[in-house]
Amino acid sequence: MTARILTPEELALLTLVQDELVPAHGDLSAAGTLGAALTVDAYLAERPLLRRPVLTALRAVEAAAGETPFAELDSEGRVGILRQVENDDPEAFSELVKQTYNAYYTRPDVQASLGIDGPPQPLGFELPAFDESRLARVRAMGKLWRDA
Amino acid sequence: MATPEFDSDVLIVGSGASGAAAAWSLSRRGLRVTCLEQGRWVKPSDYAHSRPDFELARQTSFAKDPNVRGWAEDYPINNSGTPIYPLMVNAVGGSTVHWSGHFPRMRPSDFRVRTLDGVADDWPFTYWDLEPYYDLNDSMVGVSGLAGDPGNPPRSPRQTPPLAFDAGCEAYLRGLEKLGWHWWPCDNALISEPFGENRSPCNCCGPCDIGCPIGAMSSAHVTYWPKALAQGVQLITHARVEQITVDRAGRATGALYYDDQGVRRSHTAGVVVMAANGVGTPRLLLNSTSARFPNGLANNSGVVGAYLMFHPVAFVSGVFEEVVNGQRGPIGGLMNCQEFYETDLARGFVRGFELQLSRSVGPLSVANGGILGHPVPWGSEHHEALRSRYAHTMTTSVMLEDLPEPENRVTLDPGLTDAHGIPAPRVEYRAGENTQRMLEFSIARARELFEAAGAVEILVDPLVQESGWHLMGTCRMGDDPERSVINGWGQAHECSNLFVIDGSTFTTSAAVNPTSTIQAVALRCADWLGRNYREAAA
Repeated sequence: MTARILTPEELALLTLVQDELVPAHGDLSAAGTLGAALTVDAYLAERPLLRRPVLTALRAVEAAAGETPFAELDSEGRVGILRQVENDDPEAFSELVKQTYNAYYTRPDVQASLGIDGPPQPLGFELPAFDESRLARVRAMGKLWRDA
Repeated sequence: MATPEFDSDVLIVGSGASGAAAAWSLSRRGLRVTCLEQGRWVKPSDYAHSRPDFELARQTSFAKDPNVRGWAEDYPINNSGTPIYPLMVNAVGGSTVHWSGHFPRMRPSDFRVRTLDGVADDWPFTYWDLEPYYDLNDSMVGVSGLAGDPGNPPRSPRQTPPLAFDAGCEAYLRGLEKLGWHWWPCDNALISEPFGENRSPCNCCGPCDIGCPIGAMSSAHVTYWPKALAQGVQLITHARVEQITVDRAGRATGALYYDDQGVRRSHTAGVVVMAANGVGTPRLLLNSTSARFPNGLANNSGVVGAYLMFHPVAFVSGVFEEVVNGQRGPIGGLMNCQEFYETDLARGFVRGFELQLSRSVGPLSVANGGILGHPVPWGSEHHEALRSRYAHTMTTSVMLEDLPEPENRVTLDPGLTDAHGIPAPRVEYRAGENTQRMLEFSIARARELFEAAGAVEILVDPLVQESGWHLMGTCRMGDDPERSVINGWGQAHECSNLFVIDGSTFTTSAAVNPTSTIQAVALRCADWLGRNYREAAA
């Protein structure tokens, strides 16, 4: 699968950024390594209004990194750059984070790591029925409404 | 009864909660009823619940805000002048297509606000006048719940038992019992056992707010519409109304609308019934100008669009150490607490509020802040923070009575239009002083509840931006034509064959979700219109 909106450079940068936003956890790789950048690219293709903030945030990351490319920084350095961009343009950066979360938490493997067996339908969940005896105290409160 | 010189006896604009109920009621009496709906039927395959990315639907195809959702059938709303965004669904069934289904009734005191508390206005009828229509409506749609709540007048047995009661409810109960506050399992327009045709009982899948693919939710497109269509109602979808037409005498004659091919058409009727919600109805009336009504139909008083009420909502979430699995089970009202519903001036405000004790959302919505209003931080703390909240959180909606103020209003935007060139609505709203004092007090009570329940973290969104589900008051009922648009039967003071039956009609807002009352009012108005059609249409 190739990107439709992001250039190869932007895709690579987004992948690195996403690895810092949602790092590896247990057996799960970080978001970028899992391929969340391509998913975000698909969102950008479907919803043009997302392009401006996401691309703005990516450009800001590049710019903030200065002469040392983001890719050549260690994790601490990358996080520092991302904090700077978040501080300078919180609106664009929060959209980048949101779309990364969207891509990450819609993955079945990530959901499985949280104990989710599948989507809500068709199985739903079996929950206990209501027990009326729990209302004994409230029933004894008497009329609480004003007639009119 | 029929008036053959018109295309229909009654033309209803809008197929949502009120339009559906009225269509059923009026067609029962043999009237020829046509309903114009700008939206479409939502198909089972449209719902996202069977996909791993179902939570994305909250941001996209089933977003509450039409400005975000952007269906072709939606119209834009200029909401730059309001901290609360109007929310709605433009489809057959209207905003009941995806909602929480919370279905409380107003209390008797809610209809006598001026008499009891000296503010706003009394409704032109009482709770007891409306009670038979509440009962009729419940029997039509199917309600889960339990009669016997001491916080409300006695009511008829609910159609199905209360919804499930699980770990999150137990957590709430710890706090409620410790504080000795009122609570009761909510009435919900969501069936817990078999009821009606082609509907399945709730299987507790969770995200009711993005629709119900199994028909458990008592949405108008699965309750009233099949029956109304069987009675011969003509429902025209993709029909976007531009204006209500009038004759020289100032009587409504029907509507001009764009059909699914973009062709501008006329439909005539003896009576026009507006059911396009508290934003859509004033929008269309304001756009229906004529020599007789230069400020919009039935608006020589200037009241159309004014007195807009929302229910200002705060979300207060409690994070618990134990697993409460708030993402399982119907998201909406599990229990309500009406301890602070009636006026107590010692609190510093008039009227009151309800705490709607609700569940929570899945991991994506938790991560993005969603119902919590606080996104999970990114970076090295992310996973721990996400896991401390996901499946450990319950959220209470603090729902306040909003007093009617003429400055809060819907007008026509001077520049913004929909895809057909029809002026879009502009909404101007600010929360009044009484509301602000009540918000502060009510949030403190919700915090107190979660503290008593043992929550380890409490998150507050003090005024939820995306909470304008309840659009009320913009064509208000009353006996005084200077302060109201319609009388107690929904009949316009200035145009006797024009009726309004949706949330616009509300004289005051109460502090509970309005759909049950919207439908009961619609049934009462339709019942009167059905019995007095000749007089109204003459």
